[in-house]
Amino acid sequence: MSKGIVTLKNRDILGLETMAAAEMELVLDTAREMKNIIDRDIKKVPTLRGKSIVNLFFENSTRTRTSFELAGKYLGADVVNISASGSSVSKGESLRDTLLTVEAMGVDIIVMRHEAEGSAKFASEAVSPVIINAGDGAHEHPTQGLLDMFTIRQHKGRLEDLKVAIIGDILHSRVARSNIWGLLKMGAQVHLAGPQTLLPRDIAQVGVTVHKRVEDALEGADVVNVLRIQKERQQKGLFPSAREYARIFGINAHRLTLAQPDALLMHPGPMNRGLEISPEVAYSGQSAIQEQVKNGLAIRMALLFLVLMGGKNLEASN
Amino acid sequence: MKLLIKSGRIINPATNTDEIGDVLIDQGRISAIGGQLTAEGAEILDATGLVVTPGLIDMHVHLREPGLEAKEDIASGTRAAAAGGFTTVACMPNTRPIIDNSILVAGIQQRAHHEGAVRVKVIGALSKGQEGKELAEIGDMVEAGAVAVSDDGHYVANAKLLRTGLEYASIFDCPVISHAEDEELAGEGYMHEGAVSAMLGLKGRPAVAEDVAVARDILLAEYTGGALHIAHVSTAGAVELIRQAKKRGVRVTAEATPHHLTLTDEEVKSFNTATKVNPPLRSADHVEALVAGLKDGTLDAIATDHAPHAFEEKDVEFRYAANGFPGLETALGVVLTALYHTGRFSLSELVGKLTLGPARILGLDTGSLEVGALADITVLDPDKVWTVNMKESYTRGKHSPFDGRELKGKAVATIVAGRIVMKNGEVTI
Repeated sequence: MSKGIVTLKNRDILGLETMAAAEMELVLDTAREMKNIIDRDIKKVPTLRGKSIVNLFFENSTRTRTSFELAGKYLGADVVNISASGSSVSKGESLRDTLLTVEAMGVDIIVMRHEAEGSAKFASEAVSPVIINAGDGAHEHPTQGLLDMFTIRQHKGRLEDLKVAIIGDILHSRVARSNIWGLLKMGAQVHLAGPQTLLPRDIAQVGVTVHKRVEDALEGADVVNVLRIQKERQQKGLFPSAREYARIFGINAHRLTLAQPDALLMHPGPMNRGLEISPEVAYSGQSAIQEQVKNGLAIRMALLFLVLMGGKNLEASN
Repeated sequence: MKLLIKSGRIINPATNTDEIGDVLIDQGRISAIGGQLTAEGAEILDATGLVVTPGLIDMHVHLREPGLEAKEDIASGTRAAAAGGFTTVACMPNTRPIIDNSILVAGIQQRAHHEGAVRVKVIGALSKGQEGKELAEIGDMVEAGAVAVSDDGHYVANAKLLRTGLEYASIFDCPVISHAEDEELAGEGYMHEGAVSAMLGLKGRPAVAEDVAVARDILLAEYTGGALHIAHVSTAGAVELIRQAKKRGVRVTAEATPHHLTLTDEEVKSFNTATKVNPPLRSADHVEALVAGLKDGTLDAIATDHAPHAFEEKDVEFRYAANGFPGLETALGVVLTALYHTGRFSLSELVGKLTLGPARILGLDTGSLEVGALADITVLDPDKVWTVNMKESYTRGKHSPFDGRELKGKAVATIVAGRIVMKNGEVTI
């Protein structure tokens, strides 16, 4: 199949499980061009002028919502943020009715974050604007998966045959699931580790390698992606204490030496410094954590552009 | 008023009958069974090429009345039953209020008598308010007509309550039906815990939550000698525990639903809330074990757990959707398609699980075609190909995982006490 016919025009972006490798390649390639815009003095381009994007966020978010907002604005679109606390959701409106209301206003894209798994798919079946999933419960967070792959490829030049270790709370992590789907399709080897109470049962069946000890996952890894540990998981009894977690599962300089000397360290943020990741490694030369944020903006610009304009060549569509 | 069913293939599992013949009904009872019957002035129902069976019995339905009529009521639920070929349904007590005393049992029966299209048997609550604390007045309820007691919808977490319930109910020959799932272990899971839930991110309900509950319940039945019935068995572990218990002579019976016998957790990948049910749709190995359990007699009955909900309770995000869906109108087609037309079961075996099996568990006087018996009869066309369309269903619950599926096999007439209540899919009452 030639790359020329790959298009994401009018395509809902619900997850990486349902995205083909060629489609992901297209997004990653387009994001590279977008990244140049971010570095310009005058960032705004008129590509999406006259288009409207609604950020419909049912969960709190700073970085993802800001990232989508700036991505839309840099491309010239009108962007409106709706957060659940300020919307009619608190009055008991159903998700379908909220979506129908937003649709009736004539928007082109709804970027949605919601605490319930499958809510992005629900939205895609309920209304006609393009739906971009900005996180649906513990299911998927496709733009995070794409930006993580973009970051890895930027540093390693490829994804194929790399050993990527994802460490921490896999059970509750949409970031982990999107990474797993994306990385497997791009030919990487995915290794998971964390307390067994935070590893989904039978997840190995998808094609990943599961370790009980962090050290085994880190061994020779090219990339180490550390997930956020939410404190309420401890209160639910899934691990005994933050102290013990940090001691046995936390990524610190000593443990990181098990990975390749040039291993890339990533974290989707926000970090709990001293819990899942130590400050010494978070700010070290191996860390790509700040780069991930910038790349996230480029990925979201690429996706907004591709689902609305379809084309591959940014200049041609101007 | 006489009714003569002509030239049907009569299948009666109670007598191991499977032959072409006629059935004559007079005054609501079967007056003759045989070849070339004639009766002057009788209405004729030509069953040539069709199968004549005892009226189907569904021992596990939720009619939702009183209190939950937005989901279903006795009139709509029993019409769904008639449409699906069922002549008797046993309704669960988790209504508002809970059916936990004789007045409510009598009230349901009275309303069913006036508004129902088929026979309704009442299952009373095991504990007052289904709160799992004190026994309900089981003796009173049985005397008023209750055929079993159950806290269905909840597990009886208190082992002592189940022990005393089994002992007390045995005085009245009343089976105790258990919804067996350890609620702590199941947690707030929304689907079966396994490879599918792992990647959907939906919290899982592990199969072992059912296994440990069934194991404990069986031990209590064994200790007390009481009659225990396990509702909606869904795991391989539960099947094996029941199989072993039966070998030891424990008084335990069990049912499985058409959906647990035919669908897997792969269905949930669609995030279609019609696939959300408790117990959840399990993985293929569990489905296989259930089918094997049905075949070897470990599972005595097929019951639908007909659980309709209002549109707005299902038209929401998966995790917020109500558990359950209607089953009365699809059960026969689903079972025949998946288990008969695949060659795994004979018609007689499946009819037995839908008639004699539940009748024995509940001590009903129906479930067999015999001269003198109540004329509750189902006529079915095992080869009729049809497509499920929930929009046209009699039940108020419009969400079903079988919606849109092509099925093979359908009831074409339902006869209750000699009266035709459904013909060619149309409920006539």
